[in-house]
Amino acid sequence: MDAPAIATEHLSRRFGQLIAVDDVNLRVTPGQFFGFLGPNGAGKSTTIKMLTGLLAPSSGRMEILGVDLAKNPVEVKRQIGVVPEGMALFGRLTGAEYLNFAARMYGLDRETAAKRTAELLDFMDLASQPKALITDYSHGMQKKLALAAAVIHGPKILFLDEPFEGVDAIASGTLKAMLQRMIARGATIFLTSHVLEIVERLCSHVGIIHKGRLVAQGSIEELRAGVQATAAPDSSGGAPAEKLTLEEIFLRIVGGERMAEHELSWLK
Amino acid sequence: MAEIGSSQPAPGLRTQFAGIAQLRWHIFTHSLRTVRGRMELISWIFIGLGYAVLAAGGTIGLGVASWYFVSHDQTRWFALPLWIIFLFWQLFPVTATAFTENFDASNFLRFPLTYRSYFMIRMAYGALDPTTIIGCLWLGGMTLGAGIAEPVLFPWAALVFGTFAALNILLGRMIFAWIERWLAQRKTREILGLFFFLLIIGVQFISPLTQYYLHHQSRGHPPFGIALTGNMLAVQRFFPAGLAFSALSFGVGGRFGLALGALIFLCVYSSAFFALLNIRLVAQYRGENLSESPKPAAGRKSREALQAGWDVGGVSSPVAAIFEKEFHYLSRSGPMLFPLIMPVVILVIFRFSFANAPRGGEFVLKHSGFAFPIGAAYAILILSNLFYNCFGTEGAGIQFYYMSPVHFREVLLAKNLAQGAILAVEMLLVWVAVAFLFAPPSFGITLATLAGAVFAALVSFTAGNLISLYSPKKIDWAAFGRQRASGITALAALGIQAATFGFAAIAVFASVYFHQMWLATILLLLFAAGAYRGYTYALSRIDEVAIKRRESMIAEICRA
Repeated sequence: MDAPAIATEHLSRRFGQLIAVDDVNLRVTPGQFFGFLGPNGAGKSTTIKMLTGLLAPSSGRMEILGVDLAKNPVEVKRQIGVVPEGMALFGRLTGAEYLNFAARMYGLDRETAAKRTAELLDFMDLASQPKALITDYSHGMQKKLALAAAVIHGPKILFLDEPFEGVDAIASGTLKAMLQRMIARGATIFLTSHVLEIVERLCSHVGIIHKGRLVAQGSIEELRAGVQATAAPDSSGGAPAEKLTLEEIFLRIVGGERMAEHELSWLK
Repeated sequence: MAEIGSSQPAPGLRTQFAGIAQLRWHIFTHSLRTVRGRMELISWIFIGLGYAVLAAGGTIGLGVASWYFVSHDQTRWFALPLWIIFLFWQLFPVTATAFTENFDASNFLRFPLTYRSYFMIRMAYGALDPTTIIGCLWLGGMTLGAGIAEPVLFPWAALVFGTFAALNILLGRMIFAWIERWLAQRKTREILGLFFFLLIIGVQFISPLTQYYLHHQSRGHPPFGIALTGNMLAVQRFFPAGLAFSALSFGVGGRFGLALGALIFLCVYSSAFFALLNIRLVAQYRGENLSESPKPAAGRKSREALQAGWDVGGVSSPVAAIFEKEFHYLSRSGPMLFPLIMPVVILVIFRFSFANAPRGGEFVLKHSGFAFPIGAAYAILILSNLFYNCFGTEGAGIQFYYMSPVHFREVLLAKNLAQGAILAVEMLLVWVAVAFLFAPPSFGITLATLAGAVFAALVSFTAGNLISLYSPKKIDWAAFGRQRASGITALAALGIQAATFGFAAIAVFASVYFHQMWLATILLLLFAAGAYRGYTYALSRIDEVAIKRRESMIAEICRA
């Protein structure tokens, strides 16, 4: 049996007294398009940072493609591509220089790096301004460039932290096309996003983290069935469980109706 | 339901000031939660002691001078300290490093601030600047000195110096408000950087040019120095420091009409600066976004052939990539690039200053063999910023190093190779400049200097790599001349360089004592061998440090 693409055991991270990620046991199989969801501050970014080596866990284990991240970080990083929260761009390089740089950091030779750079710039529609520095790019262009740099070495797993945040429909279309191609060639994608419609459309499996704990994990159908099984027949008064959207499933799991019970003194 | 906002009283200036003061206090106290923050505080205290000595010494000295000028009827000398204060007040903040947080007051514009409140906040930030405090204290000392010498003069001196202080505060704020505007875009930022750099170089040439004209003045004309001083004295009266001087000296001489006229002109200057400052602040208040930069317009797809990365022989692909990236960054950074020619500029100044000096010129030319070591030492000092904060310019890119399958020792090796290459070019430039301006350095001095440079570079690389990881500071491209330097880095770099030059001096003295220049080369090569051992040991352990420091590194270098 193949090793899971991503597996964590009792993964935790504390910041002083705050437990940002609490005993998370994740399992993502190879080839899955996995959406990692959670309310703000739930621990999504902290988890993705730990999985990509940007943050050390307080306890627990992480294995990427069967390799222990703590013991062999360089080997793991060779197999993955990452678009982190801040995009990790070098603002004073041109797009081409950055992609070339990224390719060579992943060990590609000069010729291959130059060839893939040219192809990616064309694919991402970034080739029209060869001399523009990244710092002068729009936000959408920067997102596309960050994704291009993350895939230039052909990673087996792609980690994306909010890849569609602040991106217009055109750039978003390009990003989705790239991600579909990655899935088609057998890569695993792990993404966090607040846009649940996009996650529902793209992802086959989701994990939901709430207050640092992984509260649900599985295919969207499995989660829907789970919500249906646990919900009282008339508790919501809404649509039958089999027709629930991902947003409704998410709100039921994390308890989104809580706010309605509270009122603010000056808005009564 | 209550109407939203219906019962909100208009926020008062005092409330808002108190809120901002509380915010600054919280930022300060929270910075002390970390060991690094506490270390920074300690280093600030040391730096603050330097400022305190400058302030106290200047206040007492200027107070005594002022008392002397008034009591001995030497008021014509008041122009000198007033010009010194004026130049210090305006130039020091531009060129010096600010050890305080640069706080963008325009962030407060989302709150219901009146324009008056916003203006006052901007002015209050200026008043907290060390230069402003020192300038005010110096002028206070001069007022007291004049008042003690002639008590009846005290109110007038206080009025003149108070107006002069207000003028300086307004001018300083006005200059920075306009510089902020020009720094908001990369192109204007680079032009401004070049302008400041040329200005600084130009100032360095005043002395050698004066010496040159003194040396080559033609017969029959008044001595150059006297003619120049006469012209400057005549012209300076129309400028702020000269007007403050005139207002005071006319006041002492009982010519109140002229004194009042000079004071009115000083007020006119202040009003003009106020108006120019007002234009900027009104634009900001109305919602101008200084961070906006022109976005590349969509155009035809370029079919220019993409060049492959640099081929750096003998190193791995990642090391070559980082080496290349370092040069791209350097070539696009005016504030880092321009100073690299300073060692040659200093040699030119050195040459012309002393060659035209009536005494000392012959001495310098006779001992010009030391020009190469001096130029080389200066080149190493100039490169300190690169050595001791080598991740400062990375921004969000710092995360890339942690995400990529590359050991941090390779990252730092690549950076050190780039730094070494820059230093090698600098040494070559200095050597050529010395050969051209003085005489080609002897073989022995060249070898000893190169050995010393290798030793100093290895020490700087070792210490610089560690300090860059332990005490990183983000370099803010939009804050020319007011970069937030780490106090720890500044003190550590100073100490390490002093120790390095101390070792080099031991080698030089030993060779001079035994009249054997080769002895210095041998000793410096031995020191370099020791430094190399230290460098390789530190580099082999650097991954542990980098991993341990990754969270604080990313937090500091990626901060907005």
